[in-house]
Amino acid sequence: MRKTGFRHYSEEELLMHFLQEETEEVGQEISVHLRECGECDSIFKEYGYLVGQVQAWRVPEIPESVWQTRKSRLLLQFREDLERSKGRGMLSSLRAAIQSAWDYALEHPLPTLGYIAIAIAFALERTISTFRLDRVLPGASDVFEILRQVF
Amino acid sequence: MVSPQSDDDLVASILRGDEDAFSRLYDRYRGRIYATAYRIIQDAGEAQDAVQEIFVKLYRSLPEWNPRKARFSTWVYRLAANHAIDCWRGRRRRLESLSSSSSDDDEFRERQIPDAILTPFGALEEKESIDQIRSCVSELPDLQKKVFLLRYFQDLKLEEIASMEDCSLGTVKTSLFRATHAVRRAVRKAGGRR
Repeated sequence: MRKTGFRHYSEEELLMHFLQEETEEVGQEISVHLRECGECDSIFKEYGYLVGQVQAWRVPEIPESVWQTRKSRLLLQFREDLERSKGRGMLSSLRAAIQSAWDYALEHPLPTLGYIAIAIAFALERTISTFRLDRVLPGASDVFEILRQVF
Repeated sequence: MVSPQSDDDLVASILRGDEDAFSRLYDRYRGRIYATAYRIIQDAGEAQDAVQEIFVKLYRSLPEWNPRKARFSTWVYRLAANHAIDCWRGRRRRLESLSSSSSDDDEFRERQIPDAILTPFGALEEKESIDQIRSCVSELPDLQKKVFLLRYFQDLKLEEIASMEDCSLGTVKTSLFRATHAVRRAVRKAGGRR
């Protein structure tokens, strides 16, 4: 491993320079340095040559007929999956709706708590008679009165 | 004449169940996905099977693609590379369990030869360095392998790879450097033997 000295750039920096993966400013500095430093320049060129060698790695070609056969099989599977998913359509919509509500609740906890409080207050007032609830929870009608004033 | 549709348009159509759009997407990406899979698995037949599986995975997980997080192509290559690495692991396990007998080594070599013949290299030296690169790449850790192949063969920028892999740019740069350095050592070693 080459040391990064006062005058030299590291091999990693030289490779990134070859791949133009550094900032423009650093790129210009290295370009100037390479014109003056034969040692860094030879490493830079060696990496360039190596990347060329790597990119010469070709893959065996596949005949078009093979691609077409495989595509037909894939499209058949796509069609079958689509048919199956239609059957699960309502369930998956419900799941998606619950999921998005949950995501919203996690992202916006305060408004969500507000909505829940409003919904509870609304439901209590509409569906549970204070008379019956008062028998179970003494003083519940006072709480309802407070909720009514708040909402 | 039909105008070429963008990836985003094709994806939207596929999500509506358009089979023709899926067919076009297949034609557009099959070669590049195959190339990625082949370079990881290093067996033409298994790479073709992997391409098929990758496309099934692709349409099933299309709703998960977030265009704000990554370009479609970046997302596809990541999916392909991850799946190919899984296939490669399976293949390696199979070969390791077979390698106890020498006849199995012969079988392994037989499977390698057709690909080598298909690779269009006239020069023996070039072929030797490619062999070194192939064997070195197959031994790289997963992240290094992915970064190496996606940067040199799919032309993805390192920033894209970092965001796709949910890691820092520095980690990706270091991974690419280590992988390239390992390959450089392997090629040099091969050169020294000649």
